Amino acid sequence: MKTAIETAALTKRYGAANAVDSLDMEVPEGSIYGFLGPNGAGKTTTMKLILGLVKPDKGTVEVGGVAVTAKNRLSVLRQTGSLIESPSYYGHLTGRENLQIISMLKDVPQSEIDEVLHTVRMENQQHKKVSHYSLGMKQRLGLACALLGRPKVLLLDEPTNGLDPAGIQEMRELIRSLPGKYEMTVLVSSHLLSEIEQMATYTGIINRGRMIFQGELEELRMHSQKHLLLRTQDNDSAERLLKERQVPCRNQAGALVLPELSDERTAGLIALLVREGVGILRLEEQQKNLEDIFLSLTGRQVSL
Amino acid sequence: MLFKCIRAELMKLRRSFVWFACVVIPLIPAGIGTANYLFYRDTLQGQWYALWTQHTLFYSCFFFSPLIAVYCAYLWRVENYGHNRNVLMTTPVPLSCIFFGKLAVAAAVTLLTQLWVFALFTVCGKYAGLPGLPPAEILFWCLRGGLGGIVIAAALLLLCQCIRSFALPIGMSLVLTMAGFLFSNKGWSLYFPFSLLTAGMNANHYDDQLAGEMLRFLGCCGVWFLLFCAAALWLLRTRDVKA
Repeated sequence: MKTAIETAALTKRYGAANAVDSLDMEVPEGSIYGFLGPNGAGKTTTMKLILGLVKPDKGTVEVGGVAVTAKNRLSVLRQTGSLIESPSYYGHLTGRENLQIISMLKDVPQSEIDEVLHTVRMENQQHKKVSHYSLGMKQRLGLACALLGRPKVLLLDEPTNGLDPAGIQEMRELIRSLPGKYEMTVLVSSHLLSEIEQMATYTGIINRGRMIFQGELEELRMHSQKHLLLRTQDNDSAERLLKERQVPCRNQAGALVLPELSDERTAGLIALLVREGVGILRLEEQQKNLEDIFLSLTGRQVSL
Repeated sequence: MLFKCIRAELMKLRRSFVWFACVVIPLIPAGIGTANYLFYRDTLQGQWYALWTQHTLFYSCFFFSPLIAVYCAYLWRVENYGHNRNVLMTTPVPLSCIFFGKLAVAAAVTLLTQLWVFALFTVCGKYAGLPGLPPAEILFWCLRGGLGGIVIAAALLLLCQCIRSFALPIGMSLVLTMAGFLFSNKGWSLYFPFSLLTAGMNANHYDDQLAGEMLRFLGCCGVWFLLFCAAALWLLRTRDVKA
């Protein structure tokens, strides 16, 4: 697997606390990497470390195989576009003037401005002062600025923050279209699991500065173990009968939790309970959703 | 790349109040200086030179340095707004070009201000009924003051790069200019950057106070300028970006 971004033992301390703690991150080339974590987990600091905005106390970062160092700063930045702690804009200037400034600094032809304006669907608002834009428009302008120069790697820090549902949907669709359209790798952070689920092909979960999971989203789902939930008219008797037949179970919130069993075994046990006069009220198969997995991995509540 | 940075910085000045300040603020010391000259014209000798002492007395004391601070504070203020500093610092531009781009614009606006001050001086002189045109020597002093102003621009740009407040560097520039007068009075004007401006402009003097000391003046300007630029670049290179 070729990696677009790779960090090794990356550490950043602020005072006594480690904002980023020995972080090993591998972002596969061409992927949309969802960087997930609760607020204050270290997502923004990691992105700033990747871009060289803050200096690491320990560890290394590579972008496109180039080490992020003061010496390589320009060659790293030439292949990245970013939207960190957005939105960022010069409010007294028009959208087009904002893009002209960035295109000058990125040394890309002015003709690219029309292309990115088309991509973020802002052709009609380009001559308006940015201070008069809605938040969604400002975010799209920020994305347009990041897209100038067709970077190989795009870093987006919580790009849907503060947007209304329609804006979120629009931004999400835009991000999803980028790898195909520009052949780029996208690293997008969020504290919203549902968002990452709908956008990302690959994910990393960070908590208190440490990477606690990294892999494909499907792999994360595999952490989910199925179990059976059984509700009867007499849970105590049912529990005794099941344990006599070596079926591990526990009584939890008025229901018995059983491990995943074969269909034949399940049918046999139900028949047994009925024979013994225990009325069956409900039997259902349950699987942890991503929310539960995230919670069990981080031990912290995540927003939906 | 530096040229592109300068163009970008000039673009950021579009529709900004910097131009208003550049045009309007020098009117105040010009008005006060001319009124003072007209009030004391019987006791003041030297016609254009006398008017120059009155103009520079107020301008170099209270207005020039804070005006440069307004330019420098604005150039960093646009980056301090929101998280613009992140955007600026992630563009593939050498850090030296980022700083010198801003400095070149601050220097250009400072020199423009000096030319406007000279134009106002000429108009006020004609209004006061002075004969002919101002001596070329006064234009030279004005531009030499601009050179001192560029050194101050480098110092203030460094200050504004570190202090996110817009008003604080302006207040500090006023205090430092006052301190500069203490150095000037002791005859140490070349050894304190904020005295270079008044020394260069020959403020409140008839005779050139830097006569025969031009090389030393240029040398001191150069040393202070390099010192402030080196400090600003070192901080840009070593400190984390706080947006």
